[in-house]
Order: sequence, then C-alpha cells, then structure tokens
Amino acid sequence: MGVEIEPLPVFTPDLFQRAWASIPHPTLPLLATAHANSVTVFSLSTLSKHSVLTGGHSRSVRTATWQPGVPPHRLRLVTGSFDASAGLWSWNGDKDALESGERLEMEVSAPHNNSKEGEEEDEEDWEFNLVLEGHENEVKGVAFSPSGQYLATCSRDKTVWIWEDVGADDEDDEWETVAVLNEHDGDVKAVAWCPDVPGRNSVRGKYSADVLASTSYDNTVRIWREEAEGEWVCVAVLEGHEGTVWGLQWEPAPKREDKFPRLMTFSADGTLRVWTLRQDQDEVEDGEEESGGGNKLFRSGLGGIPNTMKRSIREEWDCTAVLPKAHTREIYSATWSAKTGLVASAGSDGTIAVYAEEDKTTADATEEKGEDNTSSTQTPATSTNGNTSSAWKVLATVPNSHGPYEINHITWCRRFDPGAGQRKGEEEMLVTTGDDGVIRPWQVRIST
Amino acid sequence: MSREIQNENPTILNVSQLPSRRQGKATPRNGPDSKYDNILFSKHWPWGVSKTSSFWPSDEEDDGEGDDEYAEEPIDEQEIFDLISTISDPEHPHTLGQLSVVRLADIHITPFPTERLDPQSLRTVLVELTPTINHCSLATVIGLAVRVRLERVLPPSYRVDVRMKDGSHAQDDQVNKQLADKERVAAALENDTLKGMIDTMLKTCVY
Repeated sequence: MGVEIEPLPVFTPDLFQRAWASIPHPTLPLLATAHANSVTVFSLSTLSKHSVLTGGHSRSVRTATWQPGVPPHRLRLVTGSFDASAGLWSWNGDKDALESGERLEMEVSAPHNNSKEGEEEDEEDWEFNLVLEGHENEVKGVAFSPSGQYLATCSRDKTVWIWEDVGADDEDDEWETVAVLNEHDGDVKAVAWCPDVPGRNSVRGKYSADVLASTSYDNTVRIWREEAEGEWVCVAVLEGHEGTVWGLQWEPAPKREDKFPRLMTFSADGTLRVWTLRQDQDEVEDGEEESGGGNKLFRSGLGGIPNTMKRSIREEWDCTAVLPKAHTREIYSATWSAKTGLVASAGSDGTIAVYAEEDKTTADATEEKGEDNTSSTQTPATSTNGNTSSAWKVLATVPNSHGPYEINHITWCRRFDPGAGQRKGEEEMLVTTGDDGVIRPWQVRIST
Repeated sequence: MSREIQNENPTILNVSQLPSRRQGKATPRNGPDSKYDNILFSKHWPWGVSKTSSFWPSDEEDDGEGDDEYAEEPIDEQEIFDLISTISDPEHPHTLGQLSVVRLADIHITPFPTERLDPQSLRTVLVELTPTINHCSLATVIGLAVRVRLERVLPPSYRVDVRMKDGSHAQDDQVNKQLADKERVAAALENDTLKGMIDTMLKTCVY
C-alpha cells in the first residue's frame, strides 16, 4: 500500500494567528477551529468561513468538541479555554430547516457572503448558553461520551471532571458534576471516550459501558470506568512514554468484535504508541472471583482504599506497538481513520507522517525473522500475556507542511468540497492546523 | 511584587566585558573552526575574562553595532547572545549577560549557522541558562523571558529550546519541562502578572 499526499486549497480566510485545533462535525460538513478567544466554524463544502463564536471566553480557546446526537436543526459545541472554564454554545437553524438535516447542510454549504452584515448575523446565530466552572486552571481538553450523556473536561489543575446532561430536554441546559478524578500528577492534556463500537462491550464486567482515557504532563495515560453509579475509578495506568503525553485516540473501527478497542497515544518524546487490553487474563480473574462468590461485598469493602490498592479492579494494558519514528520533535497531534485504519501524525517539526499497520501475516513473518529490529519498525517484545505486537510502517511524510511553522493539530475529515466529485461525503482528507493560522486540507490518494 | 531577594550579592560583569561582535572583530573570524574552538572546547569565558574581576553596574546599553552586518549572514551564537543578554534580571538591576545567567558558550545552534540550508529547514537554538544561585525560584520566569524574546525576533523556522545548565538549578527537570511545554508557555503569557514581569524584563532589549 502506498499513499500520495497533495495539498488542497486552504480554508479561507487565514486566521493570521496561532490556531490550536480543528474539529470536524460528526455528521455535518462543518469544522470548528479554536484560535485566540474564539472559534471559527468553516464549511467543508465551500472550504470557507461559516460562522464565528466570540465573546464567551476571556482567554484562548484551546479546544472544542461537537455534542453528538443533537437534533438536525441544531448545532452544539463545547469549548475548553485557558480561562479555566468550558463553554456550551448552540446554534439554532432556520425554522424552515427544522424537519431535515439536509436543509442545514444546504444552508451551511451555500457560499457565505463576507460582508459585515453577514458576519454580524453569524455571530447572532451562535448563543453562549452555559459556562461550566470548577477547574482551577486552563482547560485543555473536552470530550463527549458516545451517547452525549457525559462530558469530560481536563485541566492543568491535574483533574478530570465528568459532567452529566441532566436537562429535561434539548433546550434545557442543565449539567451536573458527577465526578472529579484527581489521580494524575501533572496537567491533564487530553481526554477521550471509547467510541460505541462492538468491541467496547467485550470486557465490561461490572462496569457501565462508558470508558474514559486521559493523558498527562506526568507522562502517563489513565483509563477510567464507572464502577457504581457516579463512582468513577482508575482501572489502569499506562506507562511507557518518556515525555508529556499530548493526546490520544481510541481505535475507531476495531476489526474484531471480541476485542476491546485499542488506544493510540502520542507524546513530546516524539513517539506514537498503541496499547492493547490484556483480555484473557481478565476473563480468568473474573472467573475466579465469580466462583469465589460474594465478590460484590468484597469490593464494596474496599471502597475507602485508594484505587491503586484495589487489585481486583485493575486492567492490564500492554504497549503493543511503538510506531516507527518519523518526527524530530514533539508530536502534538495524531489521528486514526475509521475508514482506512491509517494513522497520521504532526507536530513541532512541521512534518505530516502517515502510517499503516502491516497485516498480520506480514507482521508474523517479520517476527519470525529474528530478534533484530529493522530500522523501519520498532516493535516492542511480545509480552507474556498473549497480546501480540503489531508492526507499523511509514507510508509517506510531508516535511514543512506549514512552511516553517509548527502544526498543532491533524485530523481525518470527510470531504464535501466539489473537488471530491462523486466520492463527496465518503472520501477522507487530512486537515492540519498550524501556528501560522492556516487551516490546510490535504488529499490522500491510497494505492494498493 | 514583594518578595525576598534570593541572591543579594551576585557577581556582575561590566558591559564591556561581555562578548560582543566588536571583540569578535578584533580577533578576526577565521572561519568556523577557530570560532567554534572557543565555544565547543573551552568551558571558560571565551575571551578569558575573569567573572569576579569587577563590580561595575552600568545601565549603558551595548549599542549592538553592525545592524547591517547580518542582513545576509545566517544568525550565529553571538547574535543570539546579543538578543538575550540585554534582558533584565527580575530581581537585580542588571542584565542576564552581566549576571552570567546567559553565556555565549552555552548557546548552541544546530545545524551550525555556517551550514547553508534551504530556507524552510528548521534550525534549533538551545540556550542553557545558569541561574545566579541554584535554588532560584525565578528560574522559570527567566527562562520564559528568554524563550519569548527569541520567539518574537527569530524567523519562524527557528525552534527555541531553553534549559537550565546541568546541575545549575535544584529543580532542573521540572523547570526544563515547563519551559518546553508550548501550551503552558502560551497560557503563561495570557497571565497578566507574569506577562507584566516578562515585559519589564524585556524593556532593556534594544531592538
């Protein structure tokens, strides 16, 4: 397999200042870019500005996330800001557009007039509904659980907060803090919920379905599950990175339904790692406990003991791949495609790298060849638990992809621009966000 | 800000003792080799100035001559030194150069400035700082000022790494990690108190 990466015309207008992240809407052709104290929403159909969210935050907006499962005529965005708050925004579509999502899509697809009047209207369309306060310092990450029921926020104050949507209906904005997780020893840089893919329930046991992961300045990754109503516990600490772990993504489309989704993390140490839950052992443990009986009582008896002591609830995660090195400096962002399984990364060195996981037969063959690690793949030794390591290779790199500037964010994103032709809404492109304030789409051609 | 002065009696260099292009000219640059001999192989002050020779506080600016000189030339260590040695110390009425917090020998550019690169290629400037005393809590602020100063004036292809020189500071790792964290640096500069301190420190920088 090979890929060719070609630049597409950049989003207009340029922002002319550092932009932190560009988040695609899960279904609609929209992209939300966080920069300075605001968010600019771009249309993916026209690759130009759709609307702007301003006036909600007193310091930089670091990140944003779209609320899933919102009625088609509404848009809901949550922003995380250096002003220590998260903001909840909504945009109500034209009443005529109430009944169909397509109408909104058409509306956002229409070329937007850039006159001052137009801009003012845009700004009126977005309402700043609610500010979520509680963090002591900069909010660095925000993420919705797949159902939209929970929102996780994380901060330099070393905590992760979980908020629950307790509003009576879509119009009712009421959010409650259900948990404050404070086991990290440093800034929590990012949070992500495991997507609702079939493998998510393969190891559920006594926990609720939602699984949260967080990455930190303390070089670790933590996995959190809900043990009892509102009682969130850390079930695993993933150690291996030798620098701040800037972020993570869950495997978006696992191939096997009986395997829990893997986790990809990327770090200031210049590496990307893939982690896999040790499932067999878990089953054995669960079995033993089950046969022992009364384990529920046993567990509740441990309620007051720090999580690190509760051995029975621990999950074992193994680092099953360190992707081949393609960056000379920190990796700030990476993205894993649900459609192709390809991973792309970017960071301080301004390079875009695209990786593919080698299929199993190839990987096995490589392992059989011997102990010597080839320079193209760094595969950690297979651990004793039966989790096999996977091998990845670099398919392509684009150096200086934002000229001399750093790239803060990279994401796979469906194409809706006319250039996609018939593959509109299907074909994926990469979108990079840089210190130069340029939001740059890239066509990725895959050849087999 | 009211706080105790942490080092009441630091060693201070006269402005005329600081390495400058003027002296560089007196010892003509014979190409990269002899030039880097000083920087790479000498752990001492490159021009043999004793650090303890005088106490001569001066507010005079080193009027960095040769503004026209670097129009075409790549940026070298001396130029980096000139850019940051004039930053004021947050607690003494002296510059970082005078206090030897910033030293020419602890500025490293990779690849070497003499190597011609395609203009988009990245260069890394590593500045190792020597705080006046090894538990100076202002180390982070000084490091931040150095990073901000260089990021403001250097072309965008320069990556700036600021660290405490090995063993010079009690919490090296912690300070180094903070200074390397882009997000923390960005957030710090949105903090009015910190921003005010940095601005004051940078007031003494001429251009």
